Amino acid sequence: MLEISHLYKKYMNSERFSVEDLNLSLKPGEIFGFLGQNGAGKSTTIKCLTGIYPFNSGSITICGHDIQKDPINAKLNMGYVPDNHSVYEKLTGREYVNYTADLYKVSKRDRNERFEKYVNQFKLMKAVDNQIKSYSHGMKQKICIIAALIHNPKLWVLDEPMMGLDHQSMVEILKRMDDHCAEGNTVFFSSHNLDLVSKICDRVAIIKDGRLQTVIDLHVKGNKETLETTFCKITATEQDIINEASTLSRNIVLHD
Amino acid sequence: MNIKTLLKLELKNRMKGNSQSKYSWLKSIFTVVLVAVAVYGLYLVAEIFFEMFDKAGIAYEALVILYTVFFLFMCFIGTSSTIKVLYYKGDNEILMRYPVSGTEVFVSKTLFLIITQFAVTAVIITPFLFGYAKTMELGEEFYKMIPVSVLFMMFIPFLLSNILAIPIMHVTNRIRNKFGLIIVGLAILVTLMFAVYMLLFNKMVTFMNDSEFSVFSDGFVQIIKDVATYLIPTKYFADVLIGHELYIAYPVLIGITGISLVGTILVIAKLYPKTLLNNIEVEGSAFKHKTKNRRRPIFVALLHKEFLQVFRSVNYSFQYFVLACAMPVMVYFCNNITMQLGKDQIGEQIALGMTLLVMLIFATVITSFSATSVSREGDNFYHTKVAPVSITKQLFVKFFMYLLVSVIANGICVGVLIFTKQVMVGVGLWLFVIVEALSIGLTLTSMRFDIKRPYFNLSGEGEVVNNNASTTLSVALGFIVAIVEGVLCMFLSYLAHDGFIVPGTEYILTEKMMYLVCSGFAIIFLVCSIFNYCFKLRKTYDKIAK
Repeated sequence: MLEISHLYKKYMNSERFSVEDLNLSLKPGEIFGFLGQNGAGKSTTIKCLTGIYPFNSGSITICGHDIQKDPINAKLNMGYVPDNHSVYEKLTGREYVNYTADLYKVSKRDRNERFEKYVNQFKLMKAVDNQIKSYSHGMKQKICIIAALIHNPKLWVLDEPMMGLDHQSMVEILKRMDDHCAEGNTVFFSSHNLDLVSKICDRVAIIKDGRLQTVIDLHVKGNKETLETTFCKITATEQDIINEASTLSRNIVLHD
Repeated sequence: MNIKTLLKLELKNRMKGNSQSKYSWLKSIFTVVLVAVAVYGLYLVAEIFFEMFDKAGIAYEALVILYTVFFLFMCFIGTSSTIKVLYYKGDNEILMRYPVSGTEVFVSKTLFLIITQFAVTAVIITPFLFGYAKTMELGEEFYKMIPVSVLFMMFIPFLLSNILAIPIMHVTNRIRNKFGLIIVGLAILVTLMFAVYMLLFNKMVTFMNDSEFSVFSDGFVQIIKDVATYLIPTKYFADVLIGHELYIAYPVLIGITGISLVGTILVIAKLYPKTLLNNIEVEGSAFKHKTKNRRRPIFVALLHKEFLQVFRSVNYSFQYFVLACAMPVMVYFCNNITMQLGKDQIGEQIALGMTLLVMLIFATVITSFSATSVSREGDNFYHTKVAPVSITKQLFVKFFMYLLVSVIANGICVGVLIFTKQVMVGVGLWLFVIVEALSIGLTLTSMRFDIKRPYFNLSGEGEVVNNNASTTLSVALGFIVAIVEGVLCMFLSYLAHDGFIVPGTEYILTEKMMYLVCSGFAIIFLVCSIFNYCFKLRKTYDKIAK
């Protein structure tokens, strides 16, 4: 579904690689979590695979289409939800989704069917004909998700989708992720929420300083339970260990 | 103490960018010099203006009319600033979180408005009053009264603006999402203002050419005299200055100031806090527009989105659609006057070059909008990279929209020129082709400027905050092209008219040669622009990282 091979990405004015020799392979029907601290290279990787950023070397293929050589077909198989949920705020929700559907050549029947389904699922019925600039943070995120799913992509990429969302909205999105995978598609998302990742993902990758550290299969017994410990062991710096120790000692004093 | 801090904050905000820059002092000097030049320019214009009316024996009436226009202008500026600063400014929401009282916010903002109103009044009206004094050879007494007149002129419109701001704001809130209505209204207003301005300018030009005779007919002089008698209360501003009927003028002006002050206090006390709170909610409100799910071809979908993005923004619509709508009227008047001037000074043969120059200058103003093609995407720039549509196609759609507007605007311009017999049909068609070719070239070049260096600095409404360097470059290039093409046309026409023989040959320069050279320049510019636009386009676009 998604193959990332020896990916290298360096920003123009940077001296070091933001992503270095990254290799990933995602299978159909799985939810894949992408973990790492702030600045580890998660968003950069996602922006490379969606075609937003060019990269220095390596290759990315989506459903067999190379993002550099055959970008149109690669993008046709992908839906993307950005971390800042930016949308064309002067359009109404319906206009925005229809615009996206047009770009992905979705038939009228399919778009009507999916539009109704997702708008109901995400409870946007009343707001869908309002200008997006009146939407709340969560509503903007939901309209982004509907637009990303309107063409039923084989690969659904989400960059920190749960940021700033209430519990109900998170449940709605998780349910949609689960349903999407059940239809044989793949979900690839980055997150900081280890608890959520361990509950919903089939596999997770941990990245640090632009390098892939490990890929963990959460179906293997014990991996779910130890995910947090493994993540901290891999990503923690010396300062993190000092911070954590000082926090713990303060807690002990408080409890005493 | 809070009031002083808040006022400082307001002033700093107004002059933001200046204080941080290394060369801020240079920028300040430049601004002062620019204002001084503008003031002196106004003074010169005022002198001609009053001389022209004085020749017809209606200089006093001209002063009254000038005060009336200025009074209305200051009421408009005052109301617009009051609405912006007191009610709409985004910082109201921020300031309300701070431990400052509503009264302190109000007083600091009002002081800021008074300072601005005073500066605008002094800078604009003083040169006109000096011009009047010079023309009428008035003495010290007149100059002594100028500050009194400026103070009245500042306070009365300011106080009236405070009373008018709330009802006008309610009306604008009601129509703010009626974009079609706003565009049509603005287009009519801009066109009318421009037409009045050009008619007056035309009279001044005529007067400058022959100052021995009055440019106004006897009937017109009588109308102006009658109108000036009824221009109350603005005639009293003039009366205070020249010491005419002071026993009426002072009580009337002081009375109006008092009444409007009481009115302002009542409006502020009763309505200000309520309106402010209401506005914080209204500012973020949006309209509802029920549509059906509709399938469009990719090209049409992109074009539709692009159009809505511009159409649903009053700023963008004004910069683009309104100016395009007003362009034919502007071209008609400008062309009329410049042709007249050119014919009188040099000869009829330069008329076509003048028309070309005027059309190209207006075309430049409109095409410069394309220098924000990429920047306008702002936070949504990623859409252009993620969409399964090639970058070239997406950019072509933007270009197509600019082309459409440009063809319509230039077409109507030429139509107006032909209809008013300023040019012949054949020449008109040639003009259209040349202006359109150069407009396309300028549009592509402007787009390329923006692709090379986009500025994603947007306001809360998602619009480009300031015109960026690409726009300035684009306008500068447009003006250069307009001057080169226009002057080339004038020069060659002039030579052809005199039967100029090309040195070293026996070839006599003809009008045909002028058409060929001008067409050649337009074609070369167009081809170079296309080449420059296409050269490594995808690579340059891919480099943009937002």
